Amino acid sequence: MKKEIEGWIGGDESGGEMLSRVRSVRPFVFPPPLHRVPLRLGNVVELVGPSPSAKTHILIHAAVTAVLPKHHGGLDHFVLFLDLDCRFDIARFSQLLLHRITPDGAQDCDQTLYDLCMSRFLYARCYDTFQFLHTLRTLHCRLEKLKQLHGVGVHLLMIDSIGAFHWMDRASMFLSQRGNKKKLFLQTVSEAVVQNIRKLLQVHPMLVIATKSVIFGNKYSTVSNEVKRNVEERCSKNLTRNHQTFQYREYMPSVWQSFVTHRILVRSSDDHPVGTNYQNSTFYLLEWLLPRLSFIDKIVVKDAGVFVDT
Amino acid sequence: MAPLKSLEKEYPLIDSNFQSFCASHGIFSVEDFLLHDLDALIAFADNHSTSQTLKQGIDQLLSIIDALQPPLLNGLQLLEDAQRNKHVLSTGCEGIDALLGGGLHEGQLTELVGPSSSGKTQACLLFASTAAKHNSLVIYLDTGNSFSPQRIARFVGQSSGHVFDNKVDHMLKKVLDRIICYSVFDVYQMFDVLHQLKNNLRSEIVKSNQYVRLLIVDSISSLITPVLGGSGPQGHALMISAGILLKKLAHEHNIAVLGGGGGCAAQHEWVREVEGVGWLVAMGEREGAAPLGWVREVTNHVVGGEDGISKPALGESWKSVPHVRLLFSRDCGSHVCNILMLKHSSMASGRAASSTLCL
Repeated sequence: MKKEIEGWIGGDESGGEMLSRVRSVRPFVFPPPLHRVPLRLGNVVELVGPSPSAKTHILIHAAVTAVLPKHHGGLDHFVLFLDLDCRFDIARFSQLLLHRITPDGAQDCDQTLYDLCMSRFLYARCYDTFQFLHTLRTLHCRLEKLKQLHGVGVHLLMIDSIGAFHWMDRASMFLSQRGNKKKLFLQTVSEAVVQNIRKLLQVHPMLVIATKSVIFGNKYSTVSNEVKRNVEERCSKNLTRNHQTFQYREYMPSVWQSFVTHRILVRSSDDHPVGTNYQNSTFYLLEWLLPRLSFIDKIVVKDAGVFVDT
Repeated sequence: MAPLKSLEKEYPLIDSNFQSFCASHGIFSVEDFLLHDLDALIAFADNHSTSQTLKQGIDQLLSIIDALQPPLLNGLQLLEDAQRNKHVLSTGCEGIDALLGGGLHEGQLTELVGPSSSGKTQACLLFASTAAKHNSLVIYLDTGNSFSPQRIARFVGQSSGHVFDNKVDHMLKKVLDRIICYSVFDVYQMFDVLHQLKNNLRSEIVKSNQYVRLLIVDSISSLITPVLGGSGPQGHALMISAGILLKKLAHEHNIAVLGGGGGCAAQHEWVREVEGVGWLVAMGEREGAAPLGWVREVTNHVVGGEDGISKPALGESWKSVPHVRLLFSRDCGSHVCNILMLKHSSMASGRAASSTLCL
């Protein structure tokens, strides 16, 4: 009896042991701007924002971190990038990677390291919903082969952007031709996408990061500051208008919304509206919506990457 | 894609028994199969009397799908393709070239936005004449009868220094020969032209030693705005399909696309109509063949919204389509065209350039 109590008081592990254990199950410690909330395998992160709001840049930045070896501050993983927007530019990825692996002042980078990192980045593009479904369905076999070949699995799946085919799916007559009117095509597609990703995650635990463009305009998101000020003057009686809250209309079906575990909103900054030239950098605001954090990060996109502005 | 029936000949496992099993679950085509829950289907097959052959049929279908998919590319392969096939086309204006990192990128869609008479069409004509001078074929989709051979002649004359000269005449003839202009007045006509181009590019192009590198649509908003009205999603679906088709052409045929989008904010109040956007698509060289490419330029309109704020005619959805967006503006009476980079997929945006486009 006494022994039991002593054992109970003694605890199971030391603080150091616990830290190392927690660290091993929490493999995603991203550098800023994704550093606020720890992310685990199986999480689905949605990056939502109007275009442009550096969403793809944040993805590329995270991808570079993931492919770098541990001693370079990376995660030593493979990354799979599914490009539904068809706008990914490999030159930008390469540029950011070079910035990370070239020490300041040095002219040359380590070519082997560069090649290793580049070959860990996997890419596929899809031009319509069915190609996307094809890709998801065949991914299991491909990832399996990759694992056998390299011994390292893909731990990060990126989708840019999840709503790319929204309008086409909404207008699709694919199912209605059959007289199957129980469900909209859009909903059927989303269910199939979520189901495919969910099954994939069961066999290949991955962190999913998907971007989502805002497709219904918030009129204040697109205008310049000058115009906005004019509007503010005109609307000065209307004190309830709060420019701090950015409204966007959700358009993804509920099955996707409930699949998302973390949500981040990026938008243009009022102090530095899109289009102002400030030392070749642009500023955006990044806000965690799920889980809701009370502060907003100011992020800056430079030639060298995405950083949190202090 | 294919109905299951059409696969029967080639793949004997997809027999009538398998087809009727699928039909009982509402699966008639490969698309239906993709939308269906695979595990549930396998579970049903297990309970079936001929479960073994049914499961073989499912595996067969999966392998057909797998074979259709292009392999995953890694970063090195992507970079190699980009370096070999995706070139940069000079625009003929140093300021814009510097802003864009050399010029119009093949494989990308570039959009020109800006208020009325801010120089977008002039820029399109300049880019077209520059590309044609460098032995590229240019496809020009003209939606407003704004294509002007006289302007092209002036651009050609200016750059060579002599205005009336036999050499210039000869050069001008060559340049105009290389610009193929189509009058396009609705979005369906544009799709026709683009599909026709796609087929031509696939098959016969090798006839000459010239490649289409630049595709210009001036302006896309005048084609798409008429179909955007109404409550249905069809208009938007057409718009996004057009964007995807342009990007597909640009990527697969190594064309740089320069296009116009409607994401610009008006500088004046109560602007009723702010004009277009230009798109240029430039196409790159093909392996082992002489250079030939395409640039596409599309222009778009911005219409006046409430409170004197102009809103893009093509709306928020369009904004995520192009790779690069350039905002054109011009002060009243001035010949200097100010160009601001609103967005660029491969650099930190927000650079501004002022360039003199002699308008």
